[in-house]
Amino acid sequence: MGRYILKRVVYMLLVFILLTFVLFCLYQMMPANRAYTDAKAAMTAYKNWPADKQEEKFQELYLEYQRRYGTDTDNKLVLYLRWLGLYPFYDGHRSGLLTGDFGYSYQYAQPVIKVVGPHIRNSFLIGIFTEIAVLGITIPLGIKCAVKKGQRFDRSVQFLSLIGFSTPSFIIYIIFIVIFCSILHLFPVSGMKTPGSTLTGWRNALDVLWHITLPTICLVFGSLASITRICRASMIDALSLDCIRTARAKGLTEKTVVYSHAWRNAIIPMVSIIVGGFFGVISGAMILETMFGFKGMGLLFLNSVRQADYDLIMFLEVIYTFIGLFSNLVIDLTYGIVDPRVRISK
Amino acid sequence: MEKQKKENVFRTLARWLVRWIFGLKYEEKWFGKKQHAEKEIKYKNGVPDDSELIVSPARQVFNRFMDRKFAVVSVIVVLVMFLVVFIGPYFMPKYYDSFTETTQVDLPPTRSFMAVPAELKNDLKSVDSYGSFSVGLSNAGKVYIWGVTRIGASGVNVKNMPEGINDKKIAFAAAGQDHVIAIAEDGTYFGWGSNRFGQIERTPEIEANSNLEPIPDEVANGTLDPTQIKKVTCGYQASAILMQDGTLYIWGNKQTYANLDKFIGRTNMLDIDFTLNNVVGLDSKQTTVVTGIKGLYNTVRPNIGAKGVKIGEYLNGRKINEIRCTTKSLCLLLDDGSICFAGDFDKDVVDVPQLPADERFVDIEGGNYHFVGLTNKGNVYAFGGDHYYQTKVPNLKGQAAKVFAGSFQSYVADANNKLIGKWGLKGYIFGTDGAGADIFQRTIAGGKVTMTVGAIAVIIEIIIGVSIGLISGYFGGWIDILLMRIAEVFSSIPLYPFMLILSSLLSQVAISTNQRLYMIMVILGILGWPGFAYITRAQILVARESEYVTAAQSMGVKETRIAFKHILPNIISVILVNMTLSFAASMQTETSLSFLGFGVNYPQPSWGNMLSRASNATAAINFWWQWLFTSAILVFTTVCINTIGDTLRDVMDPKSSNDK
Repeated sequence: MGRYILKRVVYMLLVFILLTFVLFCLYQMMPANRAYTDAKAAMTAYKNWPADKQEEKFQELYLEYQRRYGTDTDNKLVLYLRWLGLYPFYDGHRSGLLTGDFGYSYQYAQPVIKVVGPHIRNSFLIGIFTEIAVLGITIPLGIKCAVKKGQRFDRSVQFLSLIGFSTPSFIIYIIFIVIFCSILHLFPVSGMKTPGSTLTGWRNALDVLWHITLPTICLVFGSLASITRICRASMIDALSLDCIRTARAKGLTEKTVVYSHAWRNAIIPMVSIIVGGFFGVISGAMILETMFGFKGMGLLFLNSVRQADYDLIMFLEVIYTFIGLFSNLVIDLTYGIVDPRVRISK
Repeated sequence: MEKQKKENVFRTLARWLVRWIFGLKYEEKWFGKKQHAEKEIKYKNGVPDDSELIVSPARQVFNRFMDRKFAVVSVIVVLVMFLVVFIGPYFMPKYYDSFTETTQVDLPPTRSFMAVPAELKNDLKSVDSYGSFSVGLSNAGKVYIWGVTRIGASGVNVKNMPEGINDKKIAFAAAGQDHVIAIAEDGTYFGWGSNRFGQIERTPEIEANSNLEPIPDEVANGTLDPTQIKKVTCGYQASAILMQDGTLYIWGNKQTYANLDKFIGRTNMLDIDFTLNNVVGLDSKQTTVVTGIKGLYNTVRPNIGAKGVKIGEYLNGRKINEIRCTTKSLCLLLDDGSICFAGDFDKDVVDVPQLPADERFVDIEGGNYHFVGLTNKGNVYAFGGDHYYQTKVPNLKGQAAKVFAGSFQSYVADANNKLIGKWGLKGYIFGTDGAGADIFQRTIAGGKVTMTVGAIAVIIEIIIGVSIGLISGYFGGWIDILLMRIAEVFSSIPLYPFMLILSSLLSQVAISTNQRLYMIMVILGILGWPGFAYITRAQILVARESEYVTAAQSMGVKETRIAFKHILPNIISVILVNMTLSFAASMQTETSLSFLGFGVNYPQPSWGNMLSRASNATAAINFWWQWLFTSAILVFTTVCINTIGDTLRDVMDPKSSNDK
């Protein structure tokens, strides 16, 4: 087992390096030159100098900024290694991802790590509620549908989930916003707390809760349909296994058959969804956060792409990629826990 | 025994239709009793004969598919949708993506643009309109308003006429974009609608604003002599009253009409009209177009498509009698009954027809883009902008005595003031968007984009995914490991962040809209193939061990031939199912991306970016038609596609039993 994990981790690191390198090269294609803009900005102090002197000073400043930002070379590999913190800058110091320097956000005028923190917290807050609610609703529903396969209840849930599954999430959000905000005026349209309020303690918590209720409801409804469908499908597969027939033949109660025998088989295909869902919480929900003006990871990413805030984008990409790879690893390990056959084959 | 007619698709459909409309009784009467699934037990040689006709697997799948009504309907719906979005654009030749129209912004679904009230039809004095509503005046002095009367989200409704207007006999009425003015026969002035730019009344704020010209006191106080009024007309956010003696009263928004200042207090005017940005007048010299801007309209064209001539040369001693404006162009009626044009025309225009030798124009009216001309023979000709078929004149048999041009409509009355003809834009069944374009047309054009993106993306996914899955599954070994690792890398790329980066990169590069569309398809395809690769590979691993492959191998068939010719056809069903589901998923991804502004960009429509305005809660409720229809069609289409996929999976799966 230890060897297997080690192998997976090494592989994960390789993929991580490959992906980040590709992404890094993509960013380099973006037509933005921080050293150039900063040098231009610094030139305003020398406005009164004669033109040739100005040009000379500008070249000097430009080179200085390039060296400071580490962009004084065109070698993509060197740039990448500098970003990782493995290759020294012009003055010999090393600063990058591995040395704990994640970059500086120009949009927020703060180190990237400080910007990302609160956003992760917000996304996590809303995501964890959603995930619990979604699993709490969909799993019992999926099981019930599978047990009552073909009956009226199953057919109506199937029909509703087909519609829900086919509806792009943003349309669900629009409908909820129209119903709850514009018609019923139950919830605020956007934000994390009442603007200008100075609430503390309990009142503040209630205010935040009031603000995140509608986004959470929207998120829950957005993902109900697909997970119900998957849960039903895997439960139906599990119920048609030979072992179920055996269990029934043994005279076990239907409850034991469904929840102990069938469910343990049905959960195997669902592991990736459950585990992946919990990790996906950190990535945020881009469309939802945009529509509600909810300061989570998705909105942060979208804004940084719009504002071309490169250090921030790159760091967020790193987080996304890392979460993706790490959750894959955890999913594979979880398979081993829930499925004894996988454990043996390793 | 009566021979049962063979059931086929059309017969089944007709059967359902009949049952739906007339009921079960007629269905059985016309089509015979349906053979139900529970067959009577036949006996052969004294034993129950439960043998079934052996049919090919494809036939069996087809038969089972046809048993699912919902799925069959879905197939038809999707096919119809495909036909509509791919053939539909040929039926709207005048549609183009970047169409905008300021006077038609944010209109709800309506067909009421030409709904002239019945009382007005036999007693028509005048009709005027500039935007979404029309104002009609009867000879009895009553004002009628039809069309879309609620102006945007401002809460102004021009249907709410001021008190007292019904007691007076109205002599003149004119409509602007969002205001109406009327003068009664005793000189009383009425103005209603939006007053944001001082269109209708004087307030201290409007007097204080140097960009607005308040209404003159003579007009507002009702001291004008109505018998001396020659013309009352409205522009976008301005109005003018011209007296018989040439005195001009003009007021409104000077930011829209920059040359409005030059007309204030003029006294020698013969005619006045508004384009979208300029006030245009005719002074008593009758030789030039007065705009106050030097050289603005000093070249004229004898016909819309003709070459420009200096106005002095062209007139050659003739005088201008009338000036009528559309939003960009003007038409001059000369004293010899000929007409000429100035200003700009859009590309979609209709020229003036050649009149018979003894026929000449006696009156011209201007709509928003088209002109209507009345001749001395009582014939009516329409020319100019034709985007909404404004120039399609019905046969009026030479009865016309008066012509009126609304924004996109024209009305003709005979000598008895009876309305004898109306044509032009009726309305929009899905409303208009924030740029004034018809949402119905954009929905069709957007469907073409969305469905093309979805389809091509899926095809790319299949080509890459299936080939890689086949190779990987069939050959195994290090090729398998390598390819699967590559697939894993691709599937661990976070889709939305990656798409966002790529599309913001693409927006830095100067590429055409179509190239951008291709890029989106390719990117979606490249990021989506691992799913197909996994499925294909898993199927191959099973198929590789089956007897027919062993047989082929022992006969010495080449490996690639076995993979592509023997195995692929056997796993095609699984690919088909996933293709259908993936198509719907790709459409959803495209719409979500376009909704966020990172997919297909305005003005090119897609079902996603047409909904982007609804992300604002206020806009979503105020302009409900801008998202409701499009998203309903989108959801309906994807539901149908997913139904097909689900049903295919059910009927192809040998494990699933016949009972549903």
